[in-house]
Amino acid sequence: MTSRAYLLLTLLFYAVGALNVLAHALTRRRLLSSWTLSATLVGFAIHTAGLSQRWTEAGRFPAVGLHDVSSLLAWTMVLAFLLTFLRTRVDALGLAISPVAFALLLVATLTSATERTDPILTTFHLPLHAALAFFGYAALFVAFAMGGLYLIQERELKSRSPRAFYYLAPSLERCDTISGRSVAVGFVFLTLAIVTGMVWSKNALGRPFTGDPKEWSALIAWIIYVVLILARRRTGWGGRRAALLGIAGFASVVFTFVWTTFVRAGGRTP
Amino acid sequence: VIVVVGLSHRTAPLTVRERLAVPKERVAEALRRFREEAGLREAMLLSTCNRVEVYGCAEEPPAERVAQVLARWHASDLASLERHLYRLEGEAAVRHAFRVAASLDSMVIGESQILGQVKEAYELAEAAGALGSVLNALRNRCLAAAKRARTETGIGRNAVSVSSVAVELARKIFGELHDRNVLLVGAGKMSELAARHLVSGGARATVLGGRTFGRAEELAAALGGRAVPFEHLRQELARAEIVISGTGAPGLVIRRPDVEAVLHSRGGRPLFVIDIAVPRDVDPEAGRLTGVFLYDLDDLRAVAEANLRERRKEAAAAEALVEQEVLDFLAWRRSLDAVPLLVELRRRGDEIRRAELEKARKRLGALSPEQEEAIEAATTAIVNKLLHPPTVVLKELARDGEGPAEVGLIRKLLGL
Repeated sequence: MTSRAYLLLTLLFYAVGALNVLAHALTRRRLLSSWTLSATLVGFAIHTAGLSQRWTEAGRFPAVGLHDVSSLLAWTMVLAFLLTFLRTRVDALGLAISPVAFALLLVATLTSATERTDPILTTFHLPLHAALAFFGYAALFVAFAMGGLYLIQERELKSRSPRAFYYLAPSLERCDTISGRSVAVGFVFLTLAIVTGMVWSKNALGRPFTGDPKEWSALIAWIIYVVLILARRRTGWGGRRAALLGIAGFASVVFTFVWTTFVRAGGRTP
Repeated sequence: VIVVVGLSHRTAPLTVRERLAVPKERVAEALRRFREEAGLREAMLLSTCNRVEVYGCAEEPPAERVAQVLARWHASDLASLERHLYRLEGEAAVRHAFRVAASLDSMVIGESQILGQVKEAYELAEAAGALGSVLNALRNRCLAAAKRARTETGIGRNAVSVSSVAVELARKIFGELHDRNVLLVGAGKMSELAARHLVSGGARATVLGGRTFGRAEELAAALGGRAVPFEHLRQELARAEIVISGTGAPGLVIRRPDVEAVLHSRGGRPLFVIDIAVPRDVDPEAGRLTGVFLYDLDDLRAVAEANLRERRKEAAAAEALVEQEVLDFLAWRRSLDAVPLLVELRRRGDEIRRAELEKARKRLGALSPEQEEAIEAATTAIVNKLLHPPTVVLKELARDGEGPAEVGLIRKLLGL
């Protein structure tokens, strides 16, 4: 099978998962039926096989160009979701991740792969930097989603008349805790990704910092997360402000990602 | 035939239900009378504050006689009870039994007490020796179906009483209640009820006493917490995560500045304030502050209402599940009709086999043990294989409710 065939199959399973989650959200039954979970698991296994196939086909780590990037991002997100679910049993996260993973994979199947194999992309820097960055993105997305759920649940509770999310979303405390932990994990990955990115840039272009907007936004995200983590640790800061700051941090992460993927897609720098 | 005769909150007002309720000590006596005077082979009596029902089983449809005995038992004439009573037989009675146990017939749908009450009623009947194979089977299937309905659908989810809604909200905000601080302002009955729920979830209680400090100390002792004079309101507010206010004071007890003052020291930790006093104790303005969740009595009732609507949505799923269980039970009951015929068929087959074997032995003379075993096995296999298809068909016919006419024909055909 080609990697594209794997992807199509994965898309099918993720679609089942996403539709299931949405249908269950509407009827407010348990969000993750065993159906949803098994569809996601099987999809994830096929996806993994597809990615390793793609790695062989491309002759480099599959993290260049929109096709590769969206597929890899969907994979890390589903992984982050499965790990979070295993640890916390919070199913509402599926509401955010399942549709996004499906959409990303749809993008991957609709775009053609970039077959670039410049020397800059075949060093070991690419897999190292990209893997770290993508795991970071996924963890920070979990933090972002839990922050979002926090704000929604807070609004529900404040309004004093429960609607759908009152029943679907976990408690404020839980959103806050999971969001905080995901930020911590994501921050470690983000830091390592920035460091390896600088090393890569130094080796390839002679300078660790080229002044590219993506470098600036990565730095801004990093600073936001430092502030957030310090505030949590030092002052027991949490709740609404933490959720908002986490969302702001994620916005700059998204900017970094979009800039790297689209604007710099055919560019010279890594 | 399985019958149910009785009345419930759907058909009778409380005054009638009260009058007909049978206390536990007298259940055995009542069951004896239903069996002797109404001709019930088996009987069970379910008496709760929302229903009084006699479940029974008899050869002939006995609903009328059961109704008469019920009226006589309560020394009232049947005519006055008539418009409250329902009499169900066969399928309708079975369906009713399942729906009651699954709490689909309850006043508050999905309430959990009824399951225990049904279980107890069957146990009382069993102790009185009034339970036979029919009602016993009904009990097992009813209770199993009720448990399935609770776990597989959401009819039992979400709190529907004011004090349990308060606890549900606390869990929605704080997750685990372990080590949370609950501050009680005023020591009323309602606050006590909500506080008890919270404390049993692991929360610590502090009672703020007013003029009658003795009462606060009492309550604090009952909740395993401490009592503090009212002047410490602000200090205690700063520590607390959950505040339950229920004083009888005519004016506001907790004002917006009181809450505002403690918010800064909380680092964004939420504060859940439950105001169950009428007139209200807490300034509604305080509820606008970030991180403060203020619920008064009406708000709690509104949440309970919304939760009840969620339960009703789930009721359709539970009804479908229970209906399937009812149909399974009825099919199983009908398949029992075929059992006597099947037993007879087997017996007859074996009889013929033995007789023929006996004759053959006389002609064959002495056989070795191996040969003996071989003809035993061969003849048994012939009988079994011959009887297998009619056995299956008979069971199916009975399960699908084919009438006794077919069974009679089969008897004739097989010469039984």
